Amino acid sequence: MSVDLSIVLSGEFGEWLLRGFLLSIELTLITLVLAFPLATFIALLRLSPWKPLQGLGFAYVEGIRNVPLLAHLMFWYFGATQLLPEGARNWLYEHDAETVCAIIALTLYTAAFMAEDVRSGIRSIPSAQLEAARALGFGYLRSMRLVVLPQAVRIIVPPLISQTLSLWKNTSIATVIGTAELMYQAQRVETATFRGAETFAVTTVAYLAVSCVITLIGVLYQRRYPVRAA
Amino acid sequence: MRILLALCLLLSAAAAQADQLDTVKKKGDLICGVLGTDEPNSFVDPKTRTIIGYEVDLCKAIAKKIGVKLTIKQLAVAARIPELQQGRVDILAAALTHTREREAVVDFSLTTFVTGQRVMVRKDSGITQLSQLAGKRVVTVRGGTQEPNIRRAVPNVEVITFETAPQALVALQQRKAVGFVNDEVSLLDAYGKLGPAQKDFVLLEQSISSEALALGLRKNEPAFKKVVDDTLRELEKSGEAERLFMYWYGPQSRLKYDKRHFRIETDKLT
Repeated sequence: MSVDLSIVLSGEFGEWLLRGFLLSIELTLITLVLAFPLATFIALLRLSPWKPLQGLGFAYVEGIRNVPLLAHLMFWYFGATQLLPEGARNWLYEHDAETVCAIIALTLYTAAFMAEDVRSGIRSIPSAQLEAARALGFGYLRSMRLVVLPQAVRIIVPPLISQTLSLWKNTSIATVIGTAELMYQAQRVETATFRGAETFAVTTVAYLAVSCVITLIGVLYQRRYPVRAA
Repeated sequence: MRILLALCLLLSAAAAQADQLDTVKKKGDLICGVLGTDEPNSFVDPKTRTIIGYEVDLCKAIAKKIGVKLTIKQLAVAARIPELQQGRVDILAAALTHTREREAVVDFSLTTFVTGQRVMVRKDSGITQLSQLAGKRVVTVRGGTQEPNIRRAVPNVEVITFETAPQALVALQQRKAVGFVNDEVSLLDAYGKLGPAQKDFVLLEQSISSEALALGLRKNEPAFKKVVDDTLRELEKSGEAERLFMYWYGPQSRLKYDKRHFRIETDKLT
């Protein structure tokens, strides 16, 4: 059996793989857009001066990131959906529950990791900076906006880009709940063609290509906006 | 990646050179790949925690004929053919449907079971005919012939696949789909396990396919195939095949087949 990539790239099979690839990209982008604000919110909870809010943020981060993503997906798809009221449940099941549940699980999971990156970025700016700004007469919000956050962003963005890389790879696990992303379609093509080596070679290259683009963005960002000594 | 590919090719080439029957005899061990989740073909006996079943008994007979001991290895549906091709199992006894497409990559023994695939639907969906499934969501297991067959039978159906049949059944129970496509035997078994919930489900009468199940063998191993087929022929001739079928599928079993509608005699598709 010789290696022949054209079999899995042409016609119906190529179309399946392309559809899976696009859904994987879609999952990544939607999750990113939802997870970042959530992560910022969780980070602010953890940084708040009020203990119960800190505890809430802590519980979220530790509770979510210490459970494997596979368990999250199974929980949201097979478990949590059963707790919905019947009307909402039926609506969800008629509207691609597989993709919706994958986005929920990926968002909550990714946000837990991103929250820690945002939090440590803000914490890395010495408190003297805030105090100095306040001493110069800026209010708290203006001090944050003009002094602390511009410095923190440069520190936060590179780890967020590497979380995006993890997110991109993590979308592949959604195949277990029947989300028709790239890995799901690859298995479908393999079943139909018995061309395992070719199918997974193409799939690997697709994952690798997007990963390289994300890594490149990270490198370019750091070159353009290096972290400045505080 | 290229190195990995090259390595895989090298390994499969090396495996293909030696005669498989000699290799099995030399190592004294026949590795038989089964599903282990497919009662009564192969499943875990709750008492002994070992895998037993109709297909396991066929493997036992073959190992005995060759004169080696038997090792059972559990496989996922989608992993069956790759595991055989890469030489990690010697023979597949894993509810493997004999198809023309698969003939290009594996050889098949004599047909060991004849069945069809059917659809179990929720009663409240009001579906009584296959054609009513058009545009509806059905679930099934990944890596088998179920998905292509239901798409052929009902062109506009929407199919969602899972790693195992029990997961697909749970999705049906949770109303994530109106129908569950699977081999008739697995469906009858699942239906039997539903207990009081049976009243909410019904099996559609029409089959979506007629399937010949056979043992899967590595390609171009004539000596090995001959031993396997001879064993099966002897089982048929001695009445042992009939006895095994009745033991696992007959009126005393959960599936309650009243008689055997096939004989183990051919390795050709009709």
